Amino acid sequence: MLGVGSGPEGAAESGASDAADRHVPPLWFVPSARPGLSDADRDAVAILLSVHGLGPLTLGRLIDALGSPSEVLRVAARPGASKQLVDASRAEDGEGHAMPLGVAEAIVEGAASADRLLGEIRREGLRVVAQGDPDYPARLFAIEIPPSALFVRGRLDSLAAEHVVAVVGTRRPSPGGRRVASRIGAALARAGATVVSGLAIGIDGSAHAAVVGEGAATVAFIGGGHGKLFPRAHDRLADAIVDAGGAVVSEYAPMTLPSKGTFPQRNRLISGASDAVVVVEAGARSGALVTASWALEQGRDCFVVPGPIDAPTSAGSNGFLRDWPHLARIVSGVPQLLDDLGLIGAAALPVTRLPDPTDPASGQRIRTKSKVRPATSAAVLTGRSSSELAVGEGLVHGLVTVDELVAVTRLPLGEVLRALTRLEAGGLVRARGGRYEPAGQLAAANPKAA
Amino acid sequence: MLATLLSATLVALEGRVIRVEVDVAPGLPGFTIVGLGDASIREARERVRGALRNSGFIHPPRRITVNLAPADVPKTGSSADLAIAVGILVGSEQFTARAGRAALIGEVSLGGEIRTVPGLLPMVAALARRGVRRVIVPADGEDEARLVSGLEIVPVTTVGDAVAVLRSRRRAGPMQPARVELAPVPAAGERSEASDGIRGPQLAAAIPPPDLADVRGQVEARRALEVALAGGHGLLMIGPPGTGKTMLARTIPGLLPELSDEESLAATIVASVSGEGPIRGLIRRPPFRAPHHTSSYAAIVGGGRGLIPGEVTRADSGVLFLDELTEFSRDVLEALRQPLEDGRVTIVRASGAATLPARFQLVAATNPCPCGHAGEEGRCSCAHGVPERYVGRISGPLRDRIDVWVSLVRMRAEAMVAMVEPEASVVVAARIAEARTRQRARPGGRLNARVSGRALRALAALRPETSAALADLANAELLSGRGTERLLRVARTIADLDASVAVEIEHLEEAARWRPPSVRPALALAV
Repeated sequence: MLGVGSGPEGAAESGASDAADRHVPPLWFVPSARPGLSDADRDAVAILLSVHGLGPLTLGRLIDALGSPSEVLRVAARPGASKQLVDASRAEDGEGHAMPLGVAEAIVEGAASADRLLGEIRREGLRVVAQGDPDYPARLFAIEIPPSALFVRGRLDSLAAEHVVAVVGTRRPSPGGRRVASRIGAALARAGATVVSGLAIGIDGSAHAAVVGEGAATVAFIGGGHGKLFPRAHDRLADAIVDAGGAVVSEYAPMTLPSKGTFPQRNRLISGASDAVVVVEAGARSGALVTASWALEQGRDCFVVPGPIDAPTSAGSNGFLRDWPHLARIVSGVPQLLDDLGLIGAAALPVTRLPDPTDPASGQRIRTKSKVRPATSAAVLTGRSSSELAVGEGLVHGLVTVDELVAVTRLPLGEVLRALTRLEAGGLVRARGGRYEPAGQLAAANPKAA
Repeated sequence: MLATLLSATLVALEGRVIRVEVDVAPGLPGFTIVGLGDASIREARERVRGALRNSGFIHPPRRITVNLAPADVPKTGSSADLAIAVGILVGSEQFTARAGRAALIGEVSLGGEIRTVPGLLPMVAALARRGVRRVIVPADGEDEARLVSGLEIVPVTTVGDAVAVLRSRRRAGPMQPARVELAPVPAAGERSEASDGIRGPQLAAAIPPPDLADVRGQVEARRALEVALAGGHGLLMIGPPGTGKTMLARTIPGLLPELSDEESLAATIVASVSGEGPIRGLIRRPPFRAPHHTSSYAAIVGGGRGLIPGEVTRADSGVLFLDELTEFSRDVLEALRQPLEDGRVTIVRASGAATLPARFQLVAATNPCPCGHAGEEGRCSCAHGVPERYVGRISGPLRDRIDVWVSLVRMRAEAMVAMVEPEASVVVAARIAEARTRQRARPGGRLNARVSGRALRALAALRPETSAALADLANAELLSGRGTERLLRVARTIADLDASVAVEIEHLEEAARWRPPSVRPALALAV
């Protein structure tokens, strides 16, 4: 895509064909995919998904054997249905295991309490989006075992955006990791990409919050039912995500408790719904590594933010880079990441364009791989007062407290405080309990060469 | 024979004159005290009996009845001991009082010595108002009693001394209009211990306040402290242990200007009633109270049978420092609402109700989380969400009363090297005093923290472009609705520190730094 020769039209075309390859999966790949689901069938899928022990594969076989989800329920309502369901769950060619009798009995039970389940869905304000529905995410459709239906709070259209990127990481990040997650989240949002994550405490939360802070849509795949939202501390974040036009999505029925097993399964949706996964920080056994592995398996791009070699919060992510040297890519900076994702053109960043070597008017030869260079902090701070400039540069260079800013800039304390307020009002600085960090465009910018 | 003497007791912060009637009658030996006395009054019987016996007098083996009048005033404490003892001597005709009407205040010991009592100052003042011309007081309370002019103060050390005084023919001088007069301001350097300002359970008078020059770095918090003290604003310092929160708070006594005459008198009365040891003169230094976070509700608010003033009253016209604010019990924190709102506290007990002054300035400190290390890389051992809930324990109404918020962080070693030279307390104190003088000179003479919202707008004297800047700050989501008034209030103080008549944009911009953290909900969401 960076071919120097290709004109703008060519680039657009190749982009479109790329997207087509990725986004519209061959229908035959998913056995139970059938377009045009009726409301009754959609409800039936939702009810069947609430049955403990019934996974998407068995459910697919059942639906294939009996014709439709509502037919499955109808069969389950008859006397002596359990045996019939077990038989139906055996694949036509006799391959695969039939489901255990216990699961069949659970289906019968589920069919009997259909009203209660539908009531829960309504009470949580959820929408059921089943395979075949127009807003069922196309990318998810293409993964190996796509969920039969999703329980959705909010709008899914952001998952159909041209660029969808997952940002994941540990639940116990370092302040630096949190900052990087926010920067990446905000930069992606500003570049028009949809950010997907898992609503967990830590990196996930920082990424989601940064996107919401930009007023953009983000999608959270959660590892339990909506009625058992975990962690509860993120109730407000979940509301804010929905308010900002994004969605909180689960493949589990509303009252499903999140458990050890549900989170890794959920992780395949985070990577599956995205084009690329960015791991910010992951400890040695972090679930973020599971997401990254899913990404590689599903053919998604995988980016890893490298960390200090002695930081426990980066042990897993650094190890992943070592284990997959040709597949996992290094994030060397936020603008560089946007560039690698093909987003830099779309980013609303003040970008310094280098002279075009093919343009005779420029009269300069530049030897560089990339045509664009991210904005420098100096460019972002143009037009601001000298004290704001000094304070902004200081923050970009890693100063964090007012003490340090006063000591290094040699400005009077009052000047530093006022500059911080003006930068904060401009969205370029954020205060975090006595520490200050660059935000917005300043966070995405590269430091001015010292 | 019946003897009638005058004494005084204490109701909350006020002295009340009481008449002590002692009847020594023939009959079965006995000793009864009537007249709404509490346990310490009933115990006076034993003290008086011992004191008389051990002073060479006779405790008459007759029927002794003591009546404390008026009967409807509840009496507490041991202030009437001396009057009762002398009354028994007069009633049993062991001596004849020749001097004119004198009042007696003092607690007696079993050995016959006389000790001072809490609240001597308001009691003597009450007697003076009643027209009493001569008061016999314990010698160790002489200085305190002499703060009241218009009556003769006779210090005594023993029951024998008191009898000698009453026996002599010397009469009290001509009556003067009684009033509580202010002692001359002690010159700097010769201040007595008790008036030194630091009188707290934690910070004993013996320790001089640390100087701001001893606090390394933390320029942001130092400035926040200066602004808060200059305008009387509530201050909350949030930071991990060891970052200097308590140290900064302890410099406060050295930063505040002396009390006005009126405040000084009120503070001295409170100190007297609280029984904080001998009072040598008017207390000129503002009180600094630092109760421990395990303090009980009654200790903070006041109460008990005698309606004893609590820490909020003892900090009146001074500073109440609550270290580890979030560790105080919820009841105590909620009880701070009324005093913070009205500048006084109303205590209602079975024994009566009292409204006590409580115009303190709140200074508080808290850790950011239970382990104290939130925000420090890899050091916080708290579970998810715990740090947020921890600071969240400070309820909304209390938050609204804290105008200045500042976070302290542990300084990096390499940053310490380049640190600017810290200012000394005297320099900062001078700026604070000047800013306060400017506020006192305005109509109403209130500190900015206590100016009404409407008056504040007028005081700010915003120019149109400054108003626009204020709206811009609010629009940038740096401020909530209520936050705007708070911002203006603090900006007014910063302008006063700057000797500026109007609040300018630069003052607003600095004031914005002292607003509570996390007003932008979206940013506060990520845990």
